[in-house]
Amino acid sequence: MTAPLLEVRGVTRRFGGLIAVNDVTFDVHAGEIVGLIGPNGAGKTTLFNLLTGVYPPSSGDIRLEGEASGGLKPHKIARRGMTKTFQNVALFMESSVLDNVVTGGLLNNALPEARDKARQILDRVGLSAIADVRAGDLSFPERARVEVARALCTEPKLLLLDEVMAALTPAEMEEVIDLVRSLRDDGTTFIVVEHHMKAVMKLCERLLVLNFGELIADGTPTEISRNDRVIEAYLGANFAKKQASQPVETA
Amino acid sequence: MTRQRLLPVLLFAGVIILALIPLGLDPRGYEMRILCITLLFASLGQAWNIVGGLANQISLGHAAYFGIGAYTSTILLKLFSLSPWLGGVIGMILAVAFALLLSLPTARLKGHYYALATLAAGEAIRVIANSWADVTGGPVGISVPYLPDGSLWMMQFSTVLPNYYLFLAALVVICLVFWKIKSGALGYRLRAIKENEQAAEVIGVDTYRSKLIAACVSAAITAFLGTLYAQFQFFFDPDTVFGVATISVKMALIAILGGVGRLSGPLVGAAFIIPMEEMANSYFGSSAAGLSQFAYGAILVLVILLNPHGLTALFAQLRDRFTGKGGSHDRSVA
Repeated sequence: MTAPLLEVRGVTRRFGGLIAVNDVTFDVHAGEIVGLIGPNGAGKTTLFNLLTGVYPPSSGDIRLEGEASGGLKPHKIARRGMTKTFQNVALFMESSVLDNVVTGGLLNNALPEARDKARQILDRVGLSAIADVRAGDLSFPERARVEVARALCTEPKLLLLDEVMAALTPAEMEEVIDLVRSLRDDGTTFIVVEHHMKAVMKLCERLLVLNFGELIADGTPTEISRNDRVIEAYLGANFAKKQASQPVETA
Repeated sequence: MTRQRLLPVLLFAGVIILALIPLGLDPRGYEMRILCITLLFASLGQAWNIVGGLANQISLGHAAYFGIGAYTSTILLKLFSLSPWLGGVIGMILAVAFALLLSLPTARLKGHYYALATLAAGEAIRVIANSWADVTGGPVGISVPYLPDGSLWMMQFSTVLPNYYLFLAALVVICLVFWKIKSGALGYRLRAIKENEQAAEVIGVDTYRSKLIAACVSAAITAFLGTLYAQFQFFFDPDTVFGVATISVKMALIAILGGVGRLSGPLVGAAFIIPMEEMANSYFGSSAAGLSQFAYGAILVLVILLNPHGLTALFAQLRDRFTGKGGSHDRSVA
């Protein structure tokens, strides 16, 4: 097996007395679509922020393509090929959709090429029709798409998607799933945080489960759906006990 | 799209008109001086607009750069008879050095904190200039040595007419620099920083570097304008060129009042503020000196209450009302 694209080793982040991410270790290989799930407050977004350099880890090692990236500034990590979308959407609200995406393209291109690239990406994610609309005037699902387009324009090797399917209709979710798959086929690797379990199970070949900052499971969707600790974290200890006395049904 | 083709034509026409105005005026008259100061402050507002408008770094310390430019060229002219063109370039270098130094503690600051830090830095330089009398002449001020046979090389002229054209040329150059930055890659990066700094970083914008470049360009331009001012006024003191109200706040005010981040903003702002201030001074100056500042302040408050987006936005709204167009789409233009 080739060396992992991303190696996370014993990464911990404390905020004062709170341990938001606790001794987390996992690998991501090129070409994977990995789901990161867990109850609210489990530390999923914090982990994304540690990976992309928004905060430095309190301890532990993060390596991207074998080189240490933990504690680097976000723009340096973006240059190395890892970026993310924002859970609560952080677009440049006064700028047009196109200009938002162009700004991402400037990471690796001069302005004219960045413009061409941005137009191609808008085409691909189906936003060409609203290229000139001010980002602040968009609906929430549209904004989430622009987030994806802007991140894609930085030409990431590893893209972290933070709840881009929130508030989407089932049909729109299908579109996003198809889009992520086709991007993966073109060489982008994904880690996806998503609350919609059906979408996660369908999109991801492997799941990581966080609970109270700890990684409690790492496996295929089928393995995860049978994992006692995961069931307990999601549905409570009582439910897990009851479940244990009955035959398992997968989601 | 017609607007985009119209804009250069309008600007070109504006420059021609500005170039022709002095022909009808007394070249030694009071009106010429006001016009010169208006052009100078339009340039200063535009220089401030690079940092304050594009990156939303509200600097209240730009007088530091202005004063450094004015004092550097004047001191070098006095001591070594160095041409103010060369002295001005040295002033630009010193101003950039100061901008780099100032960026170390301030680049991570945002909003009010950045404004206060730059305000304090500007004031510190003013105090130094006042106390370092051996070099600056201290609070009594400094005179530019008068050369009877004036020349372009020594930036001294027998009337203010050449000064006027010098100021006009400077304004055109600075507007071009502003436009080039705004419409180029740096403009995109600065806008990203203005609208969401964290997101800008995550998608690969080196926010520290972008802000630093903008601050250095702005500082260098402001310093050279200080040199032009010194060669126009022939006398100044630290409280004038390093002043918070006289320079720092006025630069910000002109850009903000005109329309912050827009090319036309400082032009409109200066054309409004400078003549108004002069008129307030001449109406109230002899009878009640304080009243002129009061009238000036009252009008400013009124304009800001009428439209917080600045005069250019107000004009756009009025125009749209008359032509029956929706207003909000023009916000991003110029």
